[in-house]
Amino acid sequence: MRLPVITSIFVIVLGCSRGPTREEVAGRALYQLHCSQCHDNPPRYLLTRPPKLDKMFASNTLPSGTPATDEEVRRTIVEGLRTMPAFKGRLREDEIRDLMAFLHTLK
Amino acid sequence: MRRIVTAILLVAALVACKSKAARYELKGEVVQRNPATSEITVKHEEIPGFMPAMTMPYKVASPLAAAIVEPGDKIAADVITENGKDYWLDNIRITDTSGRKAPKPAPAVHVLPPGSRAPDLELTNQDGKPIRLADFKGKALLITFIYTRCPLPNFCPRLSSEFARIHDDLAKTPDDYARTHLLAITLDPKYDTPEVLRKYGLAYLHGDPSGFSHWDFAATSPETLEKLAGAFGLSYEEADNQISHTMNIVLIAPDGTISKYWTTDWTMPELEDALRQAASRSSR
Repeated sequence: MRLPVITSIFVIVLGCSRGPTREEVAGRALYQLHCSQCHDNPPRYLLTRPPKLDKMFASNTLPSGTPATDEEVRRTIVEGLRTMPAFKGRLREDEIRDLMAFLHTLK
Repeated sequence: MRRIVTAILLVAALVACKSKAARYELKGEVVQRNPATSEITVKHEEIPGFMPAMTMPYKVASPLAAAIVEPGDKIAADVITENGKDYWLDNIRITDTSGRKAPKPAPAVHVLPPGSRAPDLELTNQDGKPIRLADFKGKALLITFIYTRCPLPNFCPRLSSEFARIHDDLAKTPDDYARTHLLAITLDPKYDTPEVLRKYGLAYLHGDPSGFSHWDFAATSPETLEKLAGAFGLSYEEADNQISHTMNIVLIAPDGTISKYWTTDWTMPELEDALRQAASRSSR
């Protein structure tokens, strides 16, 4: 009788103790610095409205129609896409990795 | 009794994982402040257990702090984080103010007043072809300065978006379309090659390359860019692959003289009207 109760408490505590990783926290900060101002709160006068990025990895395809893979997302960040500016030279490799880790938490 | 104990334990466990506030020590330099949003951007050292060294914006617990600190100040502060998601700065202490930037002296440039002849300098457009400002004589020419990697939506993306709307509007009236031209000059000629500019331009021309006959995207040598900046009152400065710059828009009349400048206070309809009016004056 006691075992299920103890187990359930254990599961709850364990389940919520998984905080974000160091990469996810750093990636979130980078997201807020570089991505959020267009993807979350785009100014009204932008010619094309940037897509929301939540659940981007939950679908098989990205808003651009390309496969929702790490490789495609990384390419978009580095090279830009249509009116999205390229981040080449402005994000280090480890920063891109952190950003990708955070983007994966959005699904 | 056992049920009550179990329920209390469960609630305690849930409450325990709801409030995971943590406090970390931050040391860094203020890069920017924004009292309107109670935010400051800090270039900080590594925060062990929380974040690597980086430059990023933080909300501050006391809005007053965002108004008091100045760019260049060294600060120490506590980063408070809840559940690893929300975070802000508290207990901000300014440890050194010697890095405060002195106000910039006015640049010693001689901006050409309206009515002056625009400098006839050589540029290279998105097709790799040389063009000169004098090539557009006979048309009203609207010039702006952008760079394709500009990440701030209120700067280059805004300029290019509004120029795209002007382009689209003018295309509806063939007479005005034929008597006007748009020109975007990059501030980043090292990165913005003709190929990069072409790709960028196509995004704003809805993928239609015929639009380049009315809207050029051009690069210059760094020396020519300096001359243009001096002539048109443009300020720009590169740091960490990002270029801080003023938003300058210049209207050149069909006779090749400078008609008007805009920097901060402009709207798309205002630019479009001025361009159409300048074009119509040439045909009188």
